[in-house]
Amino acid sequence: MSRLALTHADAPMTAARVGIGGPVGSGKTALVEQLIPALQARGIDIAVITNDLVTAEDAERVRRSGLIDPERVSAVEAGACPHTVIREDPTLNIEAADELERRFPGVELILLESGGDNLASTFSRDLTDFWMFVIDVAGGDDIPRKRGPGVIRADLLVINKVDLAPHVGVDLARMQREATEVRGGRPVLLTNCRRGEGVDAIVDLLEREVLFRT
Amino acid sequence: MLRLHGIMGRADDKVYARQLHALEHRGGIELLFVPPADAGRKRFRLTTDRGTDCAVSLDRDEELIDGALLHLDAERAIIARFGEQQVLRLKARDDASALKLGWHAGNLHWRVRFEGDCLVVLLDAPIETYRARILPLLDAGEVVERVHV
Repeated sequence: MSRLALTHADAPMTAARVGIGGPVGSGKTALVEQLIPALQARGIDIAVITNDLVTAEDAERVRRSGLIDPERVSAVEAGACPHTVIREDPTLNIEAADELERRFPGVELILLESGGDNLASTFSRDLTDFWMFVIDVAGGDDIPRKRGPGVIRADLLVINKVDLAPHVGVDLARMQREATEVRGGRPVLLTNCRRGEGVDAIVDLLEREVLFRT
Repeated sequence: MLRLHGIMGRADDKVYARQLHALEHRGGIELLFVPPADAGRKRFRLTTDRGTDCAVSLDRDEELIDGALLHLDAERAIIARFGEQQVLRLKARDDASALKLGWHAGNLHWRVRFEGDCLVVLLDAPIETYRARILPLLDAGEVVERVHV
């Protein structure tokens, strides 16, 4: 059992900021919709920021979901390639996160969903403390082998829609093995976000890596 | 888990010199090696060279620096150390080549800094993966690698 030793850690902390990136249609918003109740079930105070190109489509979807107080969901419109506001100049997202922390002082974790992008998409360390990249089996089992920066550098790679693997001719075990190899053994988790499968493992990782609960 | 928040100061601050010197003699200095690519993090979980599991957080306006003192008590001090940042130092042959190199660096979203007439690329992946992206420029001699002196 780990021993918790507090030092100058008694100072109030700001919320952990966790990025979720990945290609269009890989299941980022579906993952957010699964993470919200899973995090809440563990007593974690959360808020959400979604990024879209020129609309607030994803934010409206999350607000209407009934999973979270709509006031806790902010929308950022990138107006350009999605990675420009999570990497090159994340100011809009930083301001949105700061504003959520001001309005909800007890918030412990803010999920920042990027707009759908390509395999080169990454988050700035100025914006997020931890970020995950979501791909899906229907996008092709060769995605890990293509070694995109999103796949390689993310703190966590999520392979979603695993239930579709047999229907799209994907050898899921091989895809997971190759993903782990190109990432040098760093975490790769499998999910089926339509049914919530695999989501608890992501929450376990967040509790350890950025919430420091375990 | 040792929970740490904030930076106390720099390990070379005079105010800590006596205490750190004494701890050093007792083997009480622990180093927390932070990969260069992760130096911008405000929260991270790493293990020191002596095996202490550290959960570190910083305020949003704090910057982790090499040599940051993260913990100090009568028994031990924990100091952040960055691994050496690997770089690719590039010099263009002429203005036209410099424009091409700059275009590639921007298009590839490389992290760069400028040193005089050199473009210094901060590497987040093996150097060969960077060379491969500008191979035609290197092969044509439009861009040459410079060794740091």
